[in-house]
Amino acid sequence: MKPGRALLLAVPFAGLLELGLHGFFATRPPALGDWAQIREPVLTFADASAPVIVAPRWAEPMARQALGDERMPLAHVARADTSRFTMAVELSILGERAPELEGWTEEARETHGKFTLRRLRNPHARPVVTDFVERARPPFAEVWTSQPREACKWNEHARTMSGGLGGNPTFPARRFECPSGVFFHVGETVIADESFVARRCLWSHPPKEGEIVTHFRDVALGETIEGHGGLYWVLERELRGAPIVVTVRVNGDEIGKAQHDDGQGWAPFTFPLGAHAKAAHADVEIGVSSPNYMHRHFCFEATSR
Amino acid sequence: MKLTRVDALIAAALWIGFTAILLRSVGSLGYARDEGFYFHAASQYGRWFEQLWTAPGAALERKAIDAAWATNHEHPGLIKSLFALSNLLLQKKLHLFAMEGTSYRFAAMVLGGGLIGLVYVWGTEARSRAAGLAAAITLGAMPRLFFQAHMACFDVPIVALWTLCAYTFWKALRTQGWLWPLLVGLTFGLALDTKHNSWFLPIVAGAHTAGTLIVARWLGPEGRKAAAVELRRAAAALLAMAAIGPVVFVALWPWIWHDTLARLREYAGFHLNHDYYNMEYFGVTYWKPPMPRTYAFVMTAATVPGVTLLLFAAGLLGRARLRIGEGVRLLLEPLSKGGRAFFVPSLGGRSPFRGGGAPPGGAESAAERTPSSTLFVRRAARLLRTARAESEPALEPSAAAAAVSSEPAASIGDRLLAFAVRWIGAPRTGSAAARRGPTAGTELLWLLSIGAIYAAWLSPKTPIFGGTKHWMTAYPFLALFAGVGFDDAVRAARAQAIRWRRRAPGLARHAKGTALAAVLGVVALASPVVQTARSHPWGLSSYTPLVGGAAGAATLGLNRTFWGYTTGSVTAYLNQAPPGTPVFLHDTLPASWDMLQADGRVRRDLRATMSIDASNAALYHHEQHMAGVEHQTWIAYETCRPDHIAGLDGVPVIWVYKRPGK
Repeated sequence: MKPGRALLLAVPFAGLLELGLHGFFATRPPALGDWAQIREPVLTFADASAPVIVAPRWAEPMARQALGDERMPLAHVARADTSRFTMAVELSILGERAPELEGWTEEARETHGKFTLRRLRNPHARPVVTDFVERARPPFAEVWTSQPREACKWNEHARTMSGGLGGNPTFPARRFECPSGVFFHVGETVIADESFVARRCLWSHPPKEGEIVTHFRDVALGETIEGHGGLYWVLERELRGAPIVVTVRVNGDEIGKAQHDDGQGWAPFTFPLGAHAKAAHADVEIGVSSPNYMHRHFCFEATSR
Repeated sequence: MKLTRVDALIAAALWIGFTAILLRSVGSLGYARDEGFYFHAASQYGRWFEQLWTAPGAALERKAIDAAWATNHEHPGLIKSLFALSNLLLQKKLHLFAMEGTSYRFAAMVLGGGLIGLVYVWGTEARSRAAGLAAAITLGAMPRLFFQAHMACFDVPIVALWTLCAYTFWKALRTQGWLWPLLVGLTFGLALDTKHNSWFLPIVAGAHTAGTLIVARWLGPEGRKAAAVELRRAAAALLAMAAIGPVVFVALWPWIWHDTLARLREYAGFHLNHDYYNMEYFGVTYWKPPMPRTYAFVMTAATVPGVTLLLFAAGLLGRARLRIGEGVRLLLEPLSKGGRAFFVPSLGGRSPFRGGGAPPGGAESAAERTPSSTLFVRRAARLLRTARAESEPALEPSAAAAAVSSEPAASIGDRLLAFAVRWIGAPRTGSAAARRGPTAGTELLWLLSIGAIYAAWLSPKTPIFGGTKHWMTAYPFLALFAGVGFDDAVRAARAQAIRWRRRAPGLARHAKGTALAAVLGVVALASPVVQTARSHPWGLSSYTPLVGGAAGAATLGLNRTFWGYTTGSVTAYLNQAPPGTPVFLHDTLPASWDMLQADGRVRRDLRATMSIDASNAALYHHEQHMAGVEHQTWIAYETCRPDHIAGLDGVPVIWVYKRPGK
């Protein structure tokens, strides 16, 4: 047969090949209802302090549904990064790997049908001494605005307020509320970063003048205070806002200042603690300010390591 | 091929059959955002039509017209008028449909069915019944087009009217008299009154006419005479487009009956300066220029079944081979002037040269004698001679040896040229392939219809929202080439079966009938049909195996869904909610939700809200840039556990959060 004719005749038969491939790809991932079967294996596979990280990321909603908030709490799902964890569970399908667990050491592996569980140890883990997001509530913290100095009162039952697409992240039910308006408060929320990945953080909109200060009492410190800051990406990507300055003070001493410019996304900062390193009891203040406070939906997370 | 009554019956069956399939499958499809706007507009227009019937004088006053037609005046009125009339006559008077929403959608479905019938007619007329049928089926079995064909939107209607206008233009070029040119004007007006994609139609028709003019310069006296006839007909059609189209456009859109120029300026301005929406492409959400220039091409490859694209490529390449061969002949013919003509009808379909020998002095010397000849032409002529000689060494060993020995070491350019020459084959006239059709003019029209649409996406300023629907007008022409490719494959199979008549006499016996074509049709088209059937009702989430299906696309970061229509896929879950539950609709338009309730698909006591905080159940339709809305739900509900997930082939598309304790 002439090669041209053979090629032409092969075209309709490519339809059969495509049909087979369609069947293969359509049935390759676990069905949505199959995820319930992975619950028990995950619960027994590793300690609950090890976050469950799903690969590929798009499959995470099914894992959250199957495992619930107890095994996949907000702090794990909307993690700032993985550097704080000594151990993690990778729950994978389709042979995918979680990029953020690259370089971790595999300690155990189990296969359950179309699911693969891997228990991984972080060779470069830097455990957290204090998580400031966790402590942003009375009696561990208080909040005020500096110019004029006005206290922001803790409210356990505030009205949540969600901004919808392009609007503000949800203002949580438990938050420090400042007198200058609903946008001026400190409370735990979640923003979508530049890759639209969830990041748990403390909403800390700068006031018109001065700083909004979150003061943490009696904090145990490691060698650094480090964290990330950013704005909901749909707002930040417009690149229209003024810079935002985060200032960290320990026992009244300024130990670092970071400037966040629109477009940086979920940007890290690290301040060595110097003489305050490893203090067992310290007062830490994190102040947020901006030369122009309009649309500065700033949110940060910080830890001492 | 001349159409017969059988073809009319087949076209009608395809029209009715495709419409019936759409009607049967529409019940599981939720309502898209845009449909919500058009339902509202159509109901306003419907009231005006009722007034026009009962009190025409009052209805025709400017106040009444503006009150009704100001709604959604960023789009023309024809299709929304059809939605309104369908609802008024077929639902409110005749109660034909089980669901209110279907009565609006019906008009677009009928146009979608008509499109499939029309493509059959064109494919059959231009080539053969097998080509027409294959074209119609490959078009109907494109998952995205199948999805869009259900919608009370303008996207499939404009595909239908664009194709119809192009078809009438094609007929006008081939037929004497004023009927077809008049129809070109009428259908262009209808297309103008459907969607702004129609603005490209005069460009296609004009470019086709210009192409005919250019080719006419190369043709001999007879060809030029034929081209002159075609040009006269094209001029008549273009004139009709210019004269009748705008009249129909204005006549059928009452909004522009007053303040016509200002309102037309506003209409054009809206589309020429359209907002940029968000669209995920390989994991990046694009929301402002520059947009990725590969988007339309990659998304076509990722969503149109692969075998359809291969058939399209086969059809296109087959015709390209033929036309390039003809082009080479036209280009090289002048070389024969002053010597003997050496391009003549082929001998056994292989040798381009008279008597199997080279012209005296060879093509090179002929080229040297022609002042206008170029280096490329000389080289092509030499290579043609070499290729021919190499392919028939038994006939002309001396010529082949002479050609090879006279060649210096071949450069890459020469090798590529030699490959092209071998692929083109012997340039010849009047071949069976050329006679089979489509004609070169038809192919040019189809190609221009594809090219004009895709060209828009070469600009980094063209918004990429809307996924594939914005270049769907090219798909009928892609399907027509696929039909030609399929017919080529059937012919090749027949020829091979006859060649194998001793080895497989049974096969040879069935080669000439329809059985072989039917078997090949099933083999080729099962995949698109199955993929399309399985994609429903998740049309916008469906991807072909080329990117690994829905899961592969999700991993690659291609858009999962948009328009908020998948609420229709979680109605069973929502209907189990406690009485009066407020539901956050996310991307579903309240008017679309209202229609689900009017249909009886969602309980009427469930309350729609656009506030997460005021809701006890929250929908989330996944689009990358909307992830923030899901995160807002986590904080408002204090849980990140979805209570219900629905999607395609294991890929989540929509999920629902339930406020704990509610």
